[in-house]
Amino acid sequence: MSDLDPSIIEHMANPHNYGPMENPDAMGIGENPENGEKVVIYLKVKEENGEPVIEDIKFQAIACMTTVVAGSIITHEAENISFETGNELIGATLGMLDSVPPAEAACSEMVALSLQAAMDTYRAKKDDPNFGTITYKIENSCIIPEEQNNDNTSN
Amino acid sequence: MTTLLIKTHELWLETLMAGLMSRTKNRETLYNFADIIFRHMRWIERCMILNNKTYNYDRDSIPIKVTKLSGILNNINHRIGEIDLQLLSCPDKDLVKRIASDLKYIRKTLTVLPDENITAFDASRKLDDIELTKEATDALTLFLFEESYKEYELIMIYNYLQAHSSDAFLNRIFQIMIDESMFHLRSFAEMMSEMGILGVPRVIHKSLYIIDDVKQFLKDGIDEEIAAKEMCVELSDAVAKDSKELADFFDFINNQEDYHISLMKDALAHYEELENE
Repeated sequence: MSDLDPSIIEHMANPHNYGPMENPDAMGIGENPENGEKVVIYLKVKEENGEPVIEDIKFQAIACMTTVVAGSIITHEAENISFETGNELIGATLGMLDSVPPAEAACSEMVALSLQAAMDTYRAKKDDPNFGTITYKIENSCIIPEEQNNDNTSN
Repeated sequence: MTTLLIKTHELWLETLMAGLMSRTKNRETLYNFADIIFRHMRWIERCMILNNKTYNYDRDSIPIKVTKLSGILNNINHRIGEIDLQLLSCPDKDLVKRIASDLKYIRKTLTVLPDENITAFDASRKLDDIELTKEATDALTLFLFEESYKEYELIMIYNYLQAHSSDAFLNRIFQIMIDESMFHLRSFAEMMSEMGILGVPRVIHKSLYIIDDVKQFLKDGIDEEIAAKEMCVELSDAVAKDSKELADFFDFINNQEDYHISLMKDALAHYEELENE
């Protein structure tokens, strides 16, 4: 993690929305195929004027602390928002990945895709209550390319 | 019994955290109580297995931020009261009698422990008598959060494996790994408490301990131990110029990992022998 300011440390010590959820309306998984790390997001959803709204959100990470911090921040922002706003949150997160270090990009992408997977699972379950759980795999690598690593070292 | 197991799991962690945040003789008393409650948890778990009850290690989050030790002791007292009510659900009456007696004594003792101010949450990120650079402090902070969780995870994984195994050879290894991780968890969390960044390890995902392929788990575990060794070396190097004492400590932890790897290889070979029989 680039800078451990007090707010990041607070997310590390007491991540928002961390833990399992009993009887979620939907689950979604974001996975890093490189190392098997994954994030699971659980949603309770309510319908407001025909639009799904995240009523409660929880996550668990089988991953590093950077992912836990990203999960804490993103799920906190996803509390009580509509799926439409959720899509905007996911889009904004994925849109800024180029500007952060590779490891942080991979972790944030994993959380964003697990939220996307949970929302898509919820939609699919409306048509088929027996639908399983969607897993999306990330594209960013948390392994720093040797060339970039050397560049950083020489700077 | 499920609620009894969950509440006892939470009580163990809460009591351990109380010990970690204490900077006086209270710490030893609370550590001893935490050890006893951990054993309660294991006995309740065993009772559930014998009675064909399914269970997992899910639990609620445990708020521990206090400014006085008495704050968390009151919470522990309250949680013991909840456990008392749940003991009736356990069919092993000898176990119930034992736990009830222990909890009664613990409760009584907690009321007479001297109060103390708590600095385990002040986020000072300073160790007594050791000055670290910002870079070394950040590296140490990240390491402590990562590894304290990892040690808790290992305690629960090996505990689950041991609870479901009747193989004496394997159970000896699992017990050593639990004891070792308990020591590492305490060591790292004591440092976190001193640095004002103490936190309860997060709830572990079921898929980590409900394992179908123990051989693969051991193979992955050996790789993780090797990675942990590398992290110890990196950390030792990062703090060496500021504190030889701290560097020596991480070298000591690093060298302990060698024996863990050896034990895990023994366990792996044993599983392979069993398969070939």
